[in-house]
Amino acid sequence: MGRLEPADLRRMTARALLLQATFNYERQQGLGWAWALEPALRRLYPDAEQRRQRLAEHTAYFNTQPTLASLALGVVAGLEEKRAAGESGDGSDMARVKAVLGSALAAIGDRLFWLTLRPFAACLGVLVALAGSWLGALALWACYNFLHLGMRILGVNWGYRLGTAVLGEGQRRRFDRLTDRIGLLGVVLAGVMMAWLLAPEGEPRPVVFQIVLAAGLGLGLIVALRPRPSPTEWALGLGALCVAATWFR
Amino acid sequence: MNAPILATLLLGGIAALDATPVAQTLFSQPLVSATILAAIWGEWRLALEVGVVLQLLAATTLPVGARTPEDYAVGGVVGTGVALAVAAQQPFLLVADAAAVVGVFAGLVAATFGVPVVKWQRRANEGLSRWCEAEILRGNEAALGQAQRAGVVLAFAAGVGYSAACLALGVWLLGPVAGHHTLRLARAWALAQPLWIGLGLAQVLQVFIRRRLTRAAVFGVSMLGAWLLLMMTGR
Repeated sequence: MGRLEPADLRRMTARALLLQATFNYERQQGLGWAWALEPALRRLYPDAEQRRQRLAEHTAYFNTQPTLASLALGVVAGLEEKRAAGESGDGSDMARVKAVLGSALAAIGDRLFWLTLRPFAACLGVLVALAGSWLGALALWACYNFLHLGMRILGVNWGYRLGTAVLGEGQRRRFDRLTDRIGLLGVVLAGVMMAWLLAPEGEPRPVVFQIVLAAGLGLGLIVALRPRPSPTEWALGLGALCVAATWFR
Repeated sequence: MNAPILATLLLGGIAALDATPVAQTLFSQPLVSATILAAIWGEWRLALEVGVVLQLLAATTLPVGARTPEDYAVGGVVGTGVALAVAAQQPFLLVADAAAVVGVFAGLVAATFGVPVVKWQRRANEGLSRWCEAEILRGNEAALGQAQRAGVVLAFAAGVGYSAACLALGVWLLGPVAGHHTLRLARAWALAQPLWIGLGLAQVLQVFIRRRLTRAAVFGVSMLGAWLLLMMTGR
């Protein structure tokens, strides 16, 4: 029975980029998950029939935050290694571990990557762009991908080494601290952006601009507390109102 | 078809790929696509103005939970693309503001109506995954790779096709409006731009603050500090 080699983990890392290529409502990331895990299964199960069974098993429902899916892939590759050597449980045990990994990593990853780092990177990019520089897009992209691609590149190996300890208290606390710090920096950045919008380069904007900006901010804070209508629908409605107001003036 | 339009459609496909099927690196965010389109069309101010508004509105539109969020990947490309194409049709400078308001509208509408397109792709992928599992059990392990390739090709084609439809409709419907009612639309932009920016910034702030008073205080202090610094060091 084979053991996983660094080249297998590298192949899994590359394939994890396509985790959501066939994302769907029924199995979500299931097919992409099986595709990413396939190099490990190929190494661990030389018997074609057994390998196909494992592959088909892994095409079942799976969903988590896509960046941290790399960690889950490493953990499950390690568990498959033990399973192939006859050291750990059967298919239903594996499904349970995947379900726990998926939901726990989604809880951490959604908060860190979607709800904190992405708005933070957007704020940084917009602030640079408001100063008239094309570097805003680069700032947005680089700021997000330092962590996102870093985790994607190192995640499989990290998950393989740590096993289910990736969900340990220490790791969770580290992620929580990072999320909090980025969130705090984001608030500071939003404050600087507001100041820049009111007086770019120290030149105050017209009073009408400042009042309308404050009105938009106030309305946005109220709107944000309700799921419907969505901010996009509000933006469409308010835009139409502005056009109507100037049209018939 | 001229080169900038072709490049815009290609970018629509690439953005659609980055949004969900491949890597999710935020290459598909409106500010990034607006910057690339600015370089392609050679019009920086207009592209960045549209990109900033759409970016702030897109920043908190997230793929969390069961909700299929608005498709700002294609929305960003279409919004900036329509603004640039409309501005390129008119020889006078004032049209830039009219093109900006028309572009943001096109982007918002494209993002909203992009949701059914994304849902259609996901339903098509359901059939693909069932076929794939059956093929694997039948002994065809290569089906896994074939299904992944099919998913990528479908997403790219849908991105290019939807961008093309929105861009054509946007320029055809909104181009003449921007040409004939330039002054009215320019005035509307002066009103709508700060309103949209405020609305977008509020969504971002809400995500960061989450009803924590200390965070709200930090926002106030940093705004005041930055404002004072700008007033002291500004022109």
